[in-house]
Amino acid sequence: MRKKMLAITMAAGLLLFSGCGDSEKVIDGDVANVTTGSRSGESAEAQAGTETQVSQTETAVSRGYVLKVNNVTVEVDADASPVLEALGEPVSYFEAASCAFEGLDKIYTYNGFEIDTYPSKDRDLVSAVILKDDSLATAEGICIGDSLEKLQEVYGEAALENGMLVYARDGMKLCFILQDDNIVSIEYRSTAL
Amino acid sequence: MNRIWKFIGTGVIVLASLYLLQRLLAPKYVSDVVEGALIAEYYGEEKDHDVIFIGDCEVYENFSPVVLWQDFGINSYIRGSAQQLIWQSYYLLEDTLRYEKPRVVIFNVLAMQYDEPQREAYNRMTLEGMRWSRSKVDAIRASMTREEHFLDYVFPLLRYHARWSELGAEDVRYMFDTPRVSHNGYYMRVDVKPAENVPEGRILADYRFGDNAWTYLDKMTALCRENDIRLILVKAPSLYPYWYDQWEEQMEGYAAENGLLYINFLELVEETGLDFATDTYDGGLHLNLSGAEKISRYLGEALRQEAGLADRRGEAHLSQVWKDKTEAYERERERQYEELHSPAPSRGD
Repeated sequence: MRKKMLAITMAAGLLLFSGCGDSEKVIDGDVANVTTGSRSGESAEAQAGTETQVSQTETAVSRGYVLKVNNVTVEVDADASPVLEALGEPVSYFEAASCAFEGLDKIYTYNGFEIDTYPSKDRDLVSAVILKDDSLATAEGICIGDSLEKLQEVYGEAALENGMLVYARDGMKLCFILQDDNIVSIEYRSTAL
Repeated sequence: MNRIWKFIGTGVIVLASLYLLQRLLAPKYVSDVVEGALIAEYYGEEKDHDVIFIGDCEVYENFSPVVLWQDFGINSYIRGSAQQLIWQSYYLLEDTLRYEKPRVVIFNVLAMQYDEPQREAYNRMTLEGMRWSRSKVDAIRASMTREEHFLDYVFPLLRYHARWSELGAEDVRYMFDTPRVSHNGYYMRVDVKPAENVPEGRILADYRFGDNAWTYLDKMTALCRENDIRLILVKAPSLYPYWYDQWEEQMEGYAAENGLLYINFLELVEETGLDFATDTYDGGLHLNLSGAEKISRYLGEALRQEAGLADRRGEAHLSQVWKDKTEAYERERERQYEELHSPAPSRGD
């Protein structure tokens, strides 16, 4: 009888605990845990040991589209701290606690662009980079005000998502919003959120 | 015969063990992420409310049912939860109607911005607290992200088994019963963090609310109409996330077309006396107690004038119920000020 009970309990346990290795799906108390993408984790490892100097940031291997501001490379899902340190004091800063969960979404506004971050474990990762005006161009040379024709010459055909032209690469998206065939918004977005 | 009883006995023991394990491993939402406890708390209430609020954090952090009772004799409850999506609000309304029929339902319209399921963590905090019913099943089906499974909601143990390594004393202490964390659904905060540098909204490719959101707003309107309930739409005065002019136009248009009262508190800062230097605890996202009490007074007056809600403070039983609730509310207020090492302002201030 005891053996039978033990066998049944073990079988139930095996059934329940199958898939325990998927630790990314733990959700209690940390909203970051529910992200299913792996890029933030990869970036975290890639960024481990990165020194907070511009030259180090410059040499980071960027697999998705990146923004280059002077000598600083800004990449979504990368650790925000070395980038923010290299960029210096923002024009303004705003932080928003996520409803219910620990951690803050942060918005750093600089002249011509904005960097948004999200908490991931003990660090902040870049969730989005948004160009605000035509004072900055993408690394490929496109800026706000450029035409659809020029955009397609540089980036090729885009996917249309929710009214935006989207170029996806390696777990991130470069999004363009156009009005009357002219670019009015450029955003680098993480897909991990 | 003996073997059958042994088999049944074994089954009962295994099921009981799994049940206990589930109770142990499920999040308790007591001292951490308390918002996860809000939805379930409603079921312990006497169901005789004049007003039910439904919606996201902009209802449970911005309106005070105690003020509605104290100043207007309105018996209200907030069925709010973190990032409550509009289909969840609709099914929570359906669920509420299984127990009572309020005179007024108030829905906060920020959720119109979402047209599809968002995050499992938020889904869980709304859906797990609901009692099982057809409405809960429909709410789960409407809410699940692609990574989620219906069975995980039926058997939460399947979802939470990985919590075994983080179990604490609270998981044992609150295995079967948890203390109340809200005041009729209101989540109190008395601290102050002024609103500064609130960013403008990003440019959007399309400012139109999605078809799914409209469908559920239509369903909510129809459900209220069928049940002779006055539906009131509100936009709480939260400064962030940004509320676009284009969204405002759509809500005003919908309210006018359907003969609904729509109150946008963002446009009533002067009338309500809100001061974003003192009336928010997180830089303008949510109001603190002082702010919530201010806009609740404005809302109470609107409910009295527009919906004709009667003052029920003369009802002996209800008055006693609210006396206890008000005392708990004041104790919590004092406790939070003590924690901040700051004297609680007197009620006349």
